[in-house]
Amino acid sequence: MPKKHLPSTVYEDVTELPPSRTARNRVKRAAHSAGLAVEDQLEPSLGVDEARSSRFLGVEGATVSFGQGDARIWPLRGVSVMFERGKLSLVMGPSGSGKTTLLSMLGCLLSPDEGSVFVDDVLVNQLSETEKTAIRQKKIGFVFQAFRLFHSLSAIDNVALGFELRDPKQSQRLEMARQLLDQFGLGDKCNQEPNELSPGERQRVAVARALAGDPPILLADEPTASLDAQAGRNICQILRNQVDEHGRTVVVVSHDPRWRKFADRTITLCDGQVEQEERNL
Amino acid sequence: MKLAWQNIIHDRSRFSVTVLGVSFAVFLMVFQGSLLVGFLRAASRLIDASDSDIWITARGVQAFEFGTTLESRVREMAAGVPGVMQTDRVCMAFAVYRTPKGKQQVVALVGADPNVGKRFPVPDVPELAGEISPDAVLYDVSDRDLIAVPALPTEVEINRHRASIERQIQGYGAFLGVPFLFTSYRNAIRYLGFGPDDAMYVVLRVSKGSSVADVKQSLQERLPEVDVLTRDEFAHKSRMYWTIKTGAGGAILTAAVLGFLIGLVVVSQTIYANTMENIEEYATLKALGAPRSLVARVVLTQALLCGTVGSILGLIAVIPVINHATSLIPWIYMPWWLPAVMVVPSLTMCSLASIASVRSALTVEPGRVFRA
Repeated sequence: MPKKHLPSTVYEDVTELPPSRTARNRVKRAAHSAGLAVEDQLEPSLGVDEARSSRFLGVEGATVSFGQGDARIWPLRGVSVMFERGKLSLVMGPSGSGKTTLLSMLGCLLSPDEGSVFVDDVLVNQLSETEKTAIRQKKIGFVFQAFRLFHSLSAIDNVALGFELRDPKQSQRLEMARQLLDQFGLGDKCNQEPNELSPGERQRVAVARALAGDPPILLADEPTASLDAQAGRNICQILRNQVDEHGRTVVVVSHDPRWRKFADRTITLCDGQVEQEERNL
Repeated sequence: MKLAWQNIIHDRSRFSVTVLGVSFAVFLMVFQGSLLVGFLRAASRLIDASDSDIWITARGVQAFEFGTTLESRVREMAAGVPGVMQTDRVCMAFAVYRTPKGKQQVVALVGADPNVGKRFPVPDVPELAGEISPDAVLYDVSDRDLIAVPALPTEVEINRHRASIERQIQGYGAFLGVPFLFTSYRNAIRYLGFGPDDAMYVVLRVSKGSSVADVKQSLQERLPEVDVLTRDEFAHKSRMYWTIKTGAGGAILTAAVLGFLIGLVVVSQTIYANTMENIEEYATLKALGAPRSLVARVVLTQALLCGTVGSILGLIAVIPVINHATSLIPWIYMPWWLPAVMVVPSLTMCSLASIASVRSALTVEPGRVFRA
């Protein structure tokens, strides 16, 4: 079966993913209309692990445009990139090359005009906003260049909010937030507000918040751009450790060449297209 | 919800500005509302003070202050209608009042029979027997400067007749800029030059078991040349006259409506601006996977907290101001229900404004979090 004819896909465990019954039924209907049992959705030439790996996280033929008429621009033109599970992938490229647009799609924050987006084996284009929100909530941690901490909350409350968003019933969130901050060397800064922390400390709090609830995917947009050299190296190492010690999948968008030595793979975008792919480690 | 509360208390200056905006709006709404309610109340105060069921007036009388005399037979015929238990007379006319020092002042002289009502200020009632003379003249304490009597009792002149000012009362202050004086009916018609059987208003009480509507209809059929109104109808007519047909009432009504609308706009604008200042945080919340309901709850909680605190402060500020204002505007009146009536729409506007801003928060593009 040609790849492009595959229905919405959950390759291993349809009952687990996508998160809602509606989406699961949609997958089943799509599979049925394609004349397949759900289990038949695997590509015949791939084993389960290979199939999961091939569409775990990424985009296929993704085209994105903004604006109208003469002002219309295409940040991405037919880009196909798949990110491997349990690896740290680096996306580089000049300004305007489409890096952040790509990251937005991987984070279910933007839908392509054309093409497919897969997150944790789920084709997310067809999902409703509520379902995409649920995927962000359960599967993805975000690290932003501007930290995006809640300025009125202390460090520990920012991280606890991360736990709360992933599991509102989690009663131990403050304790768990404290443990995470301890791990990142911020045990003594728990009660400080973001504006009382250095940029490096703020970014570590942001990473802790992103990791609250143990999401399998971490998306980081220029996480070291606002940091000095030492703080930047710390963040690089922390994210690298997430891959090595916890098996998380990390995608970093950055201009910073220091990331190359921490990344398993580097993808270079230019003018909305993949210019180069290389394996670093 | 901790985020909502922390957002509020973290930026105290912004919170203060928001609360100040809401307080000002509530203050304005309650103060203007008190002016309107007080004005309406004053416009029918004497009608409401009567323990009556039905008022008979000359045809076309629009307000208590502008009555004309009825033929003497009206009272007699009314008394003969089945179901009428009691008839009393009330009159009101403008008169010239002269103080002991010779200062002249136009006054509105009101005379009433003793049984018109327990709250109706007349001197010849059993409760005051022995304290003041049956033909004493009463005035409201708020008109003290206009009446200008050095002590009680004081001899004055009303329409060149000698009169004795003997007591101050409260709650019946000048409504037209002309002070009210109250005396017995027989005394009033003497000052005003009415005949002994003349009446301006015939006030009726209906016997128990009789229907006010039926008695009113019988009276109107028997007395087609006069207006027969229930007490509430005449009070309403009087209020509408002063509110709608006079410049003063129209100005107060307009000011009250504008105060209400401006208050609501101020509340809405304040809450909306407050929400929009946090729009980046809502985008972050959405990006992190917060469901729409959580974002909406945070925004609504912030709005209602600001609205509640602002409303309470606004009320705390307006109550003493209204109390103080009674020395300048005696008829201003804040009933117990007015703050609730004003605070409820104010909080509703907080909610509506926050819902409008929630829409912005909910539709904010979460991808903007990637912008530095």
